[in-house]
Order: sequence, then structure tokens, then C-alpha cells
Amino acid sequence: MSNGLFILLCSGEHEKVQMAAMMASVAAVSERPVEVFVSMNALLAFANGLDPAERYHGGEFSELLRAKDAPDAISLLQRGKEFGDLKIWACSMALDVQGWEMSHLEKDLFDGPAGLTKFLSDAENGQLITL
Amino acid sequence: MSERITIDARGAFCPGPLMELIAALKTRQIGDEIEILSSDKGSVTDIPEWCKKVKHDCLSVDEKEGYWSVLVRKAK
Repeated sequence: MSNGLFILLCSGEHEKVQMAAMMASVAAVSERPVEVFVSMNALLAFANGLDPAERYHGGEFSELLRAKDAPDAISLLQRGKEFGDLKIWACSMALDVQGWEMSHLEKDLFDGPAGLTKFLSDAENGQLITL
Repeated sequence: MSERITIDARGAFCPGPLMELIAALKTRQIGDEIEILSSDKGSVTDIPEWCKKVKHDCLSVDEKEGYWSVLVRKAK
């Protein structure tokens, strides 16, 4: 069994986006290959050019994360890509439904659009987490 | 000749201290030591565990007043 970590991120809730970013970046910098598949409402959190108040919506913990200047989810993912093996895919269905191209997403973060079939197939031999 | 630097990551939230350590290690030579100061309780176990996993040397973990000092030597 491979030690790959596969994160299926569907929720746009800040707390879940943050946890996905934390898991992905920490696993990647710990020399574990990671892939993140971003779909549904989560895709909206990665729109290009948003400031944190526009990007992150959640509950009580979201407010605390922003008030206390906790590591930003986008920055964590960038670090994971810089220091480890982390790939981030945009769900092609979600892009199509939203009417978006890759250029609508945060720059230099995504490795491309992808379909669920390939992602699930690759995840068969690793650990799959859904948020 | 190995060098030692100190990174003050007190006040940074997990996994900030770990990421700062990793960024610093990228710029150091093998044998250099990095002392990272952290007030994050998780980092006290996370950093040694990360070192063990990726094979750098965690030389010491010392509790200070309100923070910890973790000393890591770049081993590869």
C-alpha cells in the first residue's frame, strides 16, 4: 500500500478548507505524496484575487482563525508545493458548472483540471480523506 | 565550520513553526544547527517527529518560560 494522502475537498467552509490545507501541507513536507481534489463549494474558496474576508466564510472558528492571524490556507498549500510533493486538482465538473476556466482560480496553485475517476483510481492504494 | 541560527516563531500557530524551520533548513548547509523558539504546544512533539521521519537530527527540546526551544541539526 502506498503512503499517498488523497484529500477530497468539497466544503467551502473556512474551517474545512483550513484543515485540508494543514493536512496537505504537513503531509507533503513530511515526504508523503499528497493530492487534493477541490470540488463543489470548495472551488469558490480558491477564486483568484480574493482577500481573506471574501475568501473565507465559516463559523466561530473561522473568525478566530482570521482574528488571530493563523497561517493562511492558500499560503500553507503553497508551502506544501514548495517543500514537498503536493498536487492540487480542480474538479472539471465544478469548473464547468461554475463557467470557470483555470484562470479564474488562485494563480500558481492548481496543477490542472481533473476528473473524479482518475483521482479515485489513484487514491485506491493510498489514504483518502473527504472534507 | 557549522553555524547555528535562531528562529523566533513564538506567537505563530501550528504548523507555522514547522514551516519556518523547513524554510530555514533549505538555505543551510549540512551540519548547521537551527534553534527554533515556539510557543505552540503542538510543535514540541511535531518538530521532533518530523525530524525523525525525514532524517534530520533533533538535538534537544527545552522548556522555557512560556515557550520551548527546539534544536535541530541539518543532516542531509
